[in-house]
Amino acid sequence: MIPDILTIKPDVYFTGAFDPKIRTFDIIMKTANGSSYNSYVVRGSEGVAVMDTVKKEFSDDFFARLERICDYNEIRYIVLHHLEPDHSGALIELMSRAPEAKLIISGRAVMMLKGIIRTDIPYEIATTGKKISLGDKTIEFLMTPFLHWPDTMSSYLHEEKLLFSGDVFGSHYYDERLFDDAVGDFSYAFQYYYDHIMRPFKQHVLNALKLYARFDIDLIAPLHGPILRSNPQGYIAKYAQWSSEAKFRKNEFGTKMLSVFYISSYDNTHKMAEKMMQGADAVEGIRASMYDLASLDENNMIDLLEESDAVLVGSPTINGDAVKPAWDLLSCMSYLESNGKIGATFGSYGWTGEAPEMLHDRLRGLKFRVPLSPMKVKLIPTEEELEECVAFGREIAEIAMGKMVEIEM
Amino acid sequence: MATVFLKNDNIKINVPVGTTMRSLAEKSGASMIFGCRVGDCGTCIARVLEGMEYLSALNEKEEKLLQMIDSRESDVRFMCQCSVTDKDGNIVIEYI
Repeated sequence: MIPDILTIKPDVYFTGAFDPKIRTFDIIMKTANGSSYNSYVVRGSEGVAVMDTVKKEFSDDFFARLERICDYNEIRYIVLHHLEPDHSGALIELMSRAPEAKLIISGRAVMMLKGIIRTDIPYEIATTGKKISLGDKTIEFLMTPFLHWPDTMSSYLHEEKLLFSGDVFGSHYYDERLFDDAVGDFSYAFQYYYDHIMRPFKQHVLNALKLYARFDIDLIAPLHGPILRSNPQGYIAKYAQWSSEAKFRKNEFGTKMLSVFYISSYDNTHKMAEKMMQGADAVEGIRASMYDLASLDENNMIDLLEESDAVLVGSPTINGDAVKPAWDLLSCMSYLESNGKIGATFGSYGWTGEAPEMLHDRLRGLKFRVPLSPMKVKLIPTEEELEECVAFGREIAEIAMGKMVEIEM
Repeated sequence: MATVFLKNDNIKINVPVGTTMRSLAEKSGASMIFGCRVGDCGTCIARVLEGMEYLSALNEKEEKLLQMIDSRESDVRFMCQCSVTDKDGNIVIEYI
C-alpha cells in the first residue's frame, strides 16, 4: 500500500514507522499503547536532509514513505540524533541507496558507530552551533549528551522554528493521528517515558533545556510518539519541573538528607542502624531518617534514594549474601543519578559476614562515593560496637556536609 | 609525596610518583566515574584545575578522544590515562 504523505510543517515530512503491537520496549518499559519510530525529512531548495531512520524490521515502511517525498539522489544529509538501533536500523540500506548523502553524528557517536553499524562508513561530526544548509532551510545542531545515550544531540530547523529533539520529549504511544492535539490522551506515556528514560539524567536534561531556551520553538519533533505542536513550551516546562523539583524535605528544612536503610533478622542490624542514625542526626545540617527495607515499596525506595545525599545500607548475611530487599533497593538506582551521593554499608552477621562488603562494592559500581570501609559486627553488638556505629554515622554525615577527607596511599 | 585534591568529593590524597589517577580515585572511594578504563569511551573526562605539569603527558588515545568530542579546552584530560609524575606535585581535579 502506498502511504500518505504526512506533512508536519511546510517542506517537513514524517517518514517514521508505527509499531502498534509492541508491549515491552528495551526490556524495562511497558508500552500498553505501542510506539512509533519517528523519522523526518526536510526539503530545502538545494536538497533534502533525512532526520533519523527507524528500527530495522520497519525499514520497508520507512523507505515507502521516503520514496513518496524525494528521490535518493536528492538526499544531501542523513542526521542521526543518536545511534540507538531503533533509529539507526535502516541507515546502512539508506546510505547504499543514497551514496552521495553525508552522515552527520555527534562526536560521542563516533566512539560507538562501529559497534552499532559493524562497518566503516564516512561521517561528519556535528557540534553545538554547527549548521548545515539546504538552500532555503538551515539546520543547527545542539549537543544534548546523555539524553538518554551519551551521543545524543538535537537540532533546530530555523525557518520552521522546529526542534528535532531526539528521544527528549518522546512517548511510547502509537497513534497515527500524529500530533499531540489530535491523538488520544498520552500524558501518562509522556511522564512514564520521562521517569524511565530521562530521570537518571536530570542534570543533563536541565543543560539541554538551557540550550533549547536560545530558540523560538514552535514545534517539537521527538523520535517516539506524538509530535508536539499545541504548546511546546508546556512540555518543556514539564521537563524543567520534573528535573529540578526540589526534594521536598530538603526544600522544607534546608538540610542534607541522610537515609539509613536496613533489614534485620534478629534485631542486631536494626540496632546498628539506630545508632548510625543517632550519630548522623547529631551533625548540624543533616536530617537523618531510617527505613526498614522489609516493608518499603519500590516507589518509595526510588523517591527516598533520590532525595538522599548520603545512603547507609545495612543487611545481615544469609547464605553468604546480602538479603534480597537490600539488592532490590540498590537496583532502584537504575532510575536515578548517583553522581555525588555518598554511600556506606554495615551489618551484623553470624558466620561469614560477606553482605556489607558485597553491598559496598555494589555502591561503588553504582558510582557512589564510598569513603568508609564497611562496618561489620559479629552477632549482637556490644556497647563499644554500638558507640562505633554512632561514630560511623557521624563520620558519613560530616563527609556529606563537606568535611574534607585526607588519605595517604 | 604528591598531593591530589579531588574537588568534587573534597578528598585530599597524598600519593607516590607513578600513582595512576584511576587507582587513587578507586582506592579513595571517590565518585569519579570510569567507563572502559582503557581510554576509548571518554567517560572519565575531568578538568585539571592545577598541576597539569605534574601529570603524565597527553597520549595518543586522549588526543583522539579530545578530537572526537571536539574539545578545544587545554585543561581537559581523561583520568584513566593519567598518572602522577612529580613527588612535589600539587594537582587539583574537577570531574565534568
